[in-house]
Amino acid sequence: MSYKFVEHPADIAVEVEGHSLEELIKSACLAWREAAMDLTSFNKESSKKFIFNGNTPETVLIELLSELNFQLYSKKWVFVTIQNLIIEKTDTGYYLEIELFGQTFHPEIHKMKEEIKAITYHQMKIEKVGNQLKTLIVFDV
Amino acid sequence: MKISGIEIEKLNDNLWEIPPFGGMIVPGRIYASEKMLTETIQNDEALKQVVNVAHLPGIQKYSLAMPDIHWGYGFPIGGVAATDINEGVISPGGVGYDINCGVRLARTSLEFDKAKNHIQKLIENLFNDIPTGVGSSGAIKKLSSKEIKRILRDGAEWAVQNGFGTEEDLLHTEENGKIKDADPEAVSERAIERGMDQSGTLGSGNHFLEIDVVEKIFDEKTAKVLGLFENQIVIQIHTGSRGLGYQVCEDYLKLLVQSEKKFGFKLPDKQLACAPIKSTEGQNYLGAMRAAANFAWNNRQIIMHLAKNSFKRTLKISDPELSFGLVYDVCHNIAKIEEHIIDGVPKKVCVHRKGATRAFPSHNNLIPEKYRSIGQPVLIPGDMGRYSFVSVGTEKAMEETFGSSCHGAGRVQSRHQALKEAKGKNLIDELSKKGIVIQAKGYKTIAEEMPHAYKDVSDVVEVMHNAGISTKVAKLKPIGVIKG
Repeated sequence: MSYKFVEHPADIAVEVEGHSLEELIKSACLAWREAAMDLTSFNKESSKKFIFNGNTPETVLIELLSELNFQLYSKKWVFVTIQNLIIEKTDTGYYLEIELFGQTFHPEIHKMKEEIKAITYHQMKIEKVGNQLKTLIVFDV
Repeated sequence: MKISGIEIEKLNDNLWEIPPFGGMIVPGRIYASEKMLTETIQNDEALKQVVNVAHLPGIQKYSLAMPDIHWGYGFPIGGVAATDINEGVISPGGVGYDINCGVRLARTSLEFDKAKNHIQKLIENLFNDIPTGVGSSGAIKKLSSKEIKRILRDGAEWAVQNGFGTEEDLLHTEENGKIKDADPEAVSERAIERGMDQSGTLGSGNHFLEIDVVEKIFDEKTAKVLGLFENQIVIQIHTGSRGLGYQVCEDYLKLLVQSEKKFGFKLPDKQLACAPIKSTEGQNYLGAMRAAANFAWNNRQIIMHLAKNSFKRTLKISDPELSFGLVYDVCHNIAKIEEHIIDGVPKKVCVHRKGATRAFPSHNNLIPEKYRSIGQPVLIPGDMGRYSFVSVGTEKAMEETFGSSCHGAGRVQSRHQALKEAKGKNLIDELSKKGIVIQAKGYKTIAEEMPHAYKDVSDVVEVMHNAGISTKVAKLKPIGVIKG
């Protein structure tokens, strides 16, 4: 499970990978958090659970990261750890369930690094490379 | 010649064409100098995106690129495409996430010599009065969902009705700051929540408020109509629809990606997801996008009013002494239904301008009466260390570019590269030596937005001027900047 930020002409691009879809999605969540937040002083004070359905693994991944974005900028809530994550192939596509621990964002204590406008579909394609699943994710900032 | 593997033909010194191949319905046309094309444009995938846009159902005449073209999502930034309203599509990727990101220019009666000793204090006060930075909020009291819906319907009119400006301001705003047929009901609750406390906030990234001095006038007669003169203090505001607009784009992009099979379009990039203009999905997006555009006009109107008050308070002067007034407000991320001549016949089309400014000519009924003798002002901000330009639209723009021109400089370095290059430098000091005071939420923004991270905007403006699309009126030099 890992991620690496790579050069992008205007925005933030990150290569994420994992041995499984679960690992890749966890890497993507951590990469999003590192891009958006300076996470130095957080507590696990509340939990939230989200469910997404989509045609492809890319769709549910974008929906999840977009939800994290919405939680931060609108609900002022940031996730600290991923408690549970289930991703399953269904008859119609993919089902993703995630439970996160996190806390309320306090501007006087916490620091946002970037305002991520959106998670883009640009060049996102989850592919098997060797024994790893990989994709590039571009955050529009 | 071949650039990035794409065959491209020179039509003249400022215009290049990509002949149709594969699934392209129309040719691509790029306004650029040879130097720009071979030195900067070829460095990213923008040309490939010009080709991709030429695949859009119902596209008319050309897939166009302005000289500030660079890699975007789906459409290139600096891209213009018009689609037939009966057989064509609308694409959120042709507008962008920051719906109605735009620029406004306001003039004062102050001359540089009289204001120069107050710039530091002015910038401090502007920075305190106008919320900037990531997730900035709280310029005005938090509005209810009902009030936000009024803004989505009424645009900048809401600001004026609530004491943030004058009727005169509305007359000098594109669409009078209130685009018709906005549909607040097509905007999700989630988008409304995201924009709830962001009216009157600048945001982060390349958004800014700048105090400029008019350094040079190229066209005296036109400048006089715009109320501009050399050594005059003016301000520029660059921001958009904030989180509300980002969410509208995200919501509809998701919907249209999911509807791909329903419409049966085979497009080369998911970010080009689109819907027939007359479909329910297309009409809903248009209504929501217009509502977000109204939110952006209201946002810039409030910011301008806060800036005017900062000037008055700092300089301890009255309204008549400051003589503050809006020159014009343009949007550069939008899709609009307009009438253009196609094959000699007037036709209604949906003009997508993504990182492109409307540039209508003189005598056009859609521009303010006051400017009908000169053409629509085109505001082209550069980077924070060099200059910006004011141009006006021309008849040639109507003939060639669906009445569109460039919108800015465009990055030449990634944020990461800019940060690396800024290491060990004192950028605030460097700007100060050039006579520019800057205040930002964090040093990182200053480093990412440093002047040499951007192309020289004068190259961009020159191509449009020489091509006869928008002609130069004035050059502005920054002397004070606030950023997120």
